[in-house]
Amino acid sequence: MLLQLQGIQKRFGGVVALKNGNLSVDSGEVHLLMGENGAGKSTLMKIVAGMLTPDGGDVLWRGQRVSFRNPAEAQAHGIAMVHQECLLAQHLTVAENIFLGRQPSGPLGFINRRSMEQQAARLIEEHRFPLQAGWIVSKLSPAQKQLVEICRAIQGGSSLLIFDEPTSSLSESETKEVFRIVRQLRERGTGVIYITHRLDELRSVGDRVTIFRDGEWVHTCPLSELSTEELIHHMVGRAVTSIYEREPVTPGPELLRVERLSRKGVLHDISFSLRAGEIVGLGGLVGAGRTELCRALFGIDPVDTGNIVIQGKPVTLHNPGEAVRAGMALIPEDRGRDGLARQLPISYNVTAASLGRLSSWGFLNLKSEAAVTSEYCGKLRIKCSGGAQLAGRLSGGNQQKVVIAKWLAQGAKIFLFDEPTRGIDVGAKVEVFEVMDSLARAGAAILMVSSETPELVQVPDRILVMRQGRMAGELPRGSSQEEIMRLAALQESAA
Amino acid sequence: MIQRLLPFVTLTVLFVGLAIASPHFLTATNLSSVVRQTAVINIMALGMTLIIISGGIDLSVGAILAMGGLLGCMAMEKGHPILLGVFVGVLTGAFWGLVNGFLTTRLRINPFIVTLGTLGIVRGLTLIISNGLPVHQIPREFSFLGEGTVLGVPFVLWILLACAVLVHMLLEHTKLGRYAFAIGSNPDAAFYAGIPVAFHTTAVYGIGGMLTGLAGMIEASRLMTGQPTAGQGYELQAIAAVVIGGGSLRGGEGSVVGTLVGAFIMGLLSNGSDLLGISPYLQQAIIGAVIILAVSFDELRKRKVVS
Repeated sequence: MLLQLQGIQKRFGGVVALKNGNLSVDSGEVHLLMGENGAGKSTLMKIVAGMLTPDGGDVLWRGQRVSFRNPAEAQAHGIAMVHQECLLAQHLTVAENIFLGRQPSGPLGFINRRSMEQQAARLIEEHRFPLQAGWIVSKLSPAQKQLVEICRAIQGGSSLLIFDEPTSSLSESETKEVFRIVRQLRERGTGVIYITHRLDELRSVGDRVTIFRDGEWVHTCPLSELSTEELIHHMVGRAVTSIYEREPVTPGPELLRVERLSRKGVLHDISFSLRAGEIVGLGGLVGAGRTELCRALFGIDPVDTGNIVIQGKPVTLHNPGEAVRAGMALIPEDRGRDGLARQLPISYNVTAASLGRLSSWGFLNLKSEAAVTSEYCGKLRIKCSGGAQLAGRLSGGNQQKVVIAKWLAQGAKIFLFDEPTRGIDVGAKVEVFEVMDSLARAGAAILMVSSETPELVQVPDRILVMRQGRMAGELPRGSSQEEIMRLAALQESAA
Repeated sequence: MIQRLLPFVTLTVLFVGLAIASPHFLTATNLSSVVRQTAVINIMALGMTLIIISGGIDLSVGAILAMGGLLGCMAMEKGHPILLGVFVGVLTGAFWGLVNGFLTTRLRINPFIVTLGTLGIVRGLTLIISNGLPVHQIPREFSFLGEGTVLGVPFVLWILLACAVLVHMLLEHTKLGRYAFAIGSNPDAAFYAGIPVAFHTTAVYGIGGMLTGLAGMIEASRLMTGQPTAGQGYELQAIAAVVIGGGSLRGGEGSVVGTLVGAFIMGLLSNGSDLLGISPYLQQAIIGAVIILAVSFDELRKRKVVS
């Protein structure tokens, strides 16, 4: 065996990312690593590539126990990784990036530019990539950048290559090219680990498949022995611990209607509607365009074509200010970055969107501000020492509630929740669902983006599923996780 | 908490230490001279506090101070009343502040670059307007602004106190102040909350400019000339006062009281060095070291709070 992983564990703070990571890869094998978002695939591979150190378990490389302290050590052993997110030096050329950290140099330590560029050109030529050695990386398309990453990984002549969802940003012909490279590597005897959660693209490349779920190894077998149905079953066979039961509400009038919304390269022909009292789930894989849809609806990104109709009135939103005035609220995915001012007091955060109401002639009414703050801290049961406490000192769940409180105080009617339960514990999750439920009962319309399929089948009244920037379909309440996964991941959907 | 109080403690220790070390320190003449010397930087630093809290920076204040003082004096030279002259100076400052705000928000250029540019432009224009020569023909009574006393206290101290109270009110009791904190703390979150970020950022630079214009008139009154070369390097002193007082160049943090303390720490350091006969060359080095020390302590404190 080239690589063996046994019982790998990893936790980040209080969050367990990997409980039991097992995997074995042979030379000349293409091993697919599959699982839902957050199953622990990328964490496991970052451990193999030396980017993270495990908290427990064994990594065996050619039968020897190893522990890599950094990526350079892993590379020295012949392990290279093609990353999902772009890790390139934007202002350097293609050739410089391919050879970054291992530039051919002369006796005095000067880089031998010509030799470097020739080698890069040969590599590009060999694989017929649409690249030139002298191009500056920042001017390349995402797909071209991905190809530079691939060149970089295969250049060293590694014996194990890890591809972390390399095709999520590539076109069909570029994807085929990646598959061709993977086959070529296999023929040369290189071991390949290929992370994916798109079911449609893998049949043609893989030898064996390993499935992870909730940070744990679930199943390994030859790909030919596993039907797509079984695969989906293993991936989502996550116990639906019924953490939350929601009584359905009879929906009221339509609050938001989206008609054929498109943004070039990101959103294609999106149509749906939200009614008062409804919680509508929005599922899909990472990169399906769900966050982008929220951003477009909230006036952050412009749209090319299509209409947004709020409470019967067509609107054009140029900035979040207009969206807020139209009654919309966004609880963003990355609340630390986009939703919360961490160094400021809770009260400043809670009232940030409603100071117009809490001031006259520009002067704040600090008494009403304090009243509003304590009202919503009480309503949402935010655990804090008072409105003056800094928001950054709260737990993740309570921070999320502060962001929600901001919009409650403002009086929004249409709520876009982007991954509202990411990074918060189960108890706080239930509380967030309760808040959403009481919002809906009070007549709000809620769009709930979630990558957690167990949540999607439990909380929303109906579920929309996006795939590659398009609306892939809609499922009623009570649909199974498998049905969601099939819509999200399969090109030729059953629908 | 102890570390948050560090600037106050430093100021007190410095004050007591100097009172013991030098018999000339605790005299009315010396103390009022400290107040007069630091008032100009102090008033500029109040504006800088607003700007830094909103996540910005203004390197052009020294140049704006000179142009404000010059134009104000030129108005008086032409025979206009003193009040109008002061008004001209303040207005000049406000104008350039708004220009800075407009360029950073509309053209989305980094404020460091914008104000580095306007620093050159404003200084250059001031020299062109004045032909490089100071303006002397100003009414004698104008000296009251910088050198006069009211109720036994330097007039500039009253002005400083009034400005401090106003800026404090602005920061803690108005929408503008609240938005300045929000924008400086997390500009994306502020934008997503529907706050008109560009408008309020521009307003903050405008107010900063106004205070700088006023400081320019006080400087002119103390020198009794409109000097086109006045205020060189003042921007760094103003920034240092804010930072010593707990302001963060990453935005979202700072206070009026902190800035006042910061400015007085620097004022006392330089006055104390004079009294104790420490070379002015060494003074600069001491103040530089104090800036680094103050910010290091502050960083240590913050790392504990938000991480």
